[in-house]
Amino acid sequence: MKNKIILLSSILIILLLNIFYNNFPDIIDPYTYNIIIYIGISIILATSLNLINGFTGQFSLGHAGFMAVGGYLSIALSTYFGPFFQRIFGNGLFGNSITFIIVLLSAGIAAAIVGIIVGIPSLRLKGDYLAIITLGFGEIIRVLIQGMNIVGGAQNFSGVYFYQNGVVSPAMIAELPDVNYVFYQVPKYTDFFWTFSLAAIVVYVVYTLVNSTYGKGFLAVKDDEIAAESMGINTTKYKVIAFVTGAFFAGIAGSLYGHYNQTLNPEDFNFLKSVEIVIMVILGGMGSIPGVIIAAIILTILPELLRNPEISITLIFFIPYLLFIYRFTIRNKDRYSKIKLIGIDLISIIFLGALLYFLMPVLISNIPNISTLRMIIYALLLIFLMLNRPQGLFGVKFKIRKKTA
Amino acid sequence: MRFGGLLCIDSLNAHIENNELVGMIGPNGAGKTTVFNIITSVYRPTEGDVIFDGKSLLNYKTFQIAELGICRTFQNIRLFPSLSVKDNVRVSFGIRLKSHFFSAIAQLPKYFSEEKEIDEKIDELLEMFDLLKVKDEQATSLPYGQQRKVEIVRALATDPKLLLLDEPAAGMNPTEKVDLMNLIKNVKDKFKISILLIEHDMRVVMGVCERIFVLDYGKKIAEGSPSEIQNNPRVIEAYLGEAKK
Repeated sequence: MKNKIILLSSILIILLLNIFYNNFPDIIDPYTYNIIIYIGISIILATSLNLINGFTGQFSLGHAGFMAVGGYLSIALSTYFGPFFQRIFGNGLFGNSITFIIVLLSAGIAAAIVGIIVGIPSLRLKGDYLAIITLGFGEIIRVLIQGMNIVGGAQNFSGVYFYQNGVVSPAMIAELPDVNYVFYQVPKYTDFFWTFSLAAIVVYVVYTLVNSTYGKGFLAVKDDEIAAESMGINTTKYKVIAFVTGAFFAGIAGSLYGHYNQTLNPEDFNFLKSVEIVIMVILGGMGSIPGVIIAAIILTILPELLRNPEISITLIFFIPYLLFIYRFTIRNKDRYSKIKLIGIDLISIIFLGALLYFLMPVLISNIPNISTLRMIIYALLLIFLMLNRPQGLFGVKFKIRKKTA
Repeated sequence: MRFGGLLCIDSLNAHIENNELVGMIGPNGAGKTTVFNIITSVYRPTEGDVIFDGKSLLNYKTFQIAELGICRTFQNIRLFPSLSVKDNVRVSFGIRLKSHFFSAIAQLPKYFSEEKEIDEKIDELLEMFDLLKVKDEQATSLPYGQQRKVEIVRALATDPKLLLLDEPAAGMNPTEKVDLMNLIKNVKDKFKISILLIEHDMRVVMGVCERIFVLDYGKKIAEGSPSEIQNNPRVIEAYLGEAKK
């Protein structure tokens, strides 16, 4: 009951924030708003993948594929049937909301159906093999979409042309004589409210699920399939359910993404997108909901933050240094008293801060193009974090003994 | 049961009555654990049949066998390492669960009443095995003896009719062993279940079992009450080798 109240109140707060933003749009610049929406979408993706990878232990690399299914289906629905929906529900806030709910649900359901089709054959495999087969299915979905002219093929799909009495896809318009047509663009339904209330719902669903007696089965499947099977758990069914639930929410995230950018390209859903989501789950700590949310936020902001040369430089110098201090503290916690250790930490941080403050102008003038190296810095930071915390930010290490039959 | 050319279980014929505590002993490699794996459908026997409550078990999968009412423990402990003791036991309630996926998400009143009922049952079972104090600890962090007990509780929580215990007393000291065996006897009487037990410690098996059968190289070489088994020359031979004449 408590969880439900927290969910409803957080949706209410999100609604109020959204109303506030609509009345004072100058409070955040569009660039920041953009990043905030992407954070919400990343949270949905990472939390839903966490149910598959983190809680059920099935390593899936095809999440972008499900996102593509949901995204493309939903923007096709809202463009080809856009005028139809408008005629029925009207063009007001209420009508648009109902249209968007229908579109989101069908995106989720389509992705879930694809999830079943992909899941039933591939979930017979484990570990690396499962990762490869899901990667394969993800690519198949992307290539199939590239071949579909009705959704723009390999080009951007940003709307449809209504031509006389018929509808024409953007790829076919070039072949037609220039006659009068109406271009119907993908409507921009996604906003702060939709993104974050759906993120709250995903977090709620995954949280309540893994804390219920029914959901403990997911963790049991991850820990020991033979034991789980002996305790009456249908491991295949559990795996498919986790997979389908994850795919459902990935589809919804794809739909949000499409209705925010008002255009989609198959390249948005390539292999790297899947890897990005997997990184969020691993960095946050497999099977930790707060960890994965924080990782989703960090990994969405970080590439943008690194555009700023000062922040880039600070991060390159500061993060390794902070980790060094952290390790020093852990290693010497018996040798020095607590107060002494805190003192040492504080002094060294202040010292580095002062050093950076004075060195910053020199460094910036000497490495002017540091922001072009931002993806390298991003990668280096990931390597550093993984070397120091292989279990992820919030992950817990478990003693896993070698298992034999 | 054959693995390739290896004959592992050779025409074993055994039966267990209702509410009976049967011991299965035999030297290392006699095929005791294989019998368990055959009963729970981990392996499919190459010949023969397993009949439980008049039904052949050959066409059931492992998780369905647990639903039918046969549950086991493992020789090398297989607790779920990322779950607490309580949650390890909670997993077993999954098979009798009425509220599934959607009622867990919607958090209906029915879901809460069922969860509460399960919590009470878990506490009751853990109390019986003296594990209530450690119920929130990570299961694999417990001492070996307690881990074995958690495994038994976890198996009992599926509400079985036949409980298969694979060396439940391994790694325990003599007093703990005696306590555990008394506990197993109590469990049998309280829940009215049958128990099939593998154990190496002769003194323990002899003290608690009503009937024992002895396996050697996959063949049943003796069956009978503990005192009969103790004096059976074939059993002595299997364990100690042939006496010199």
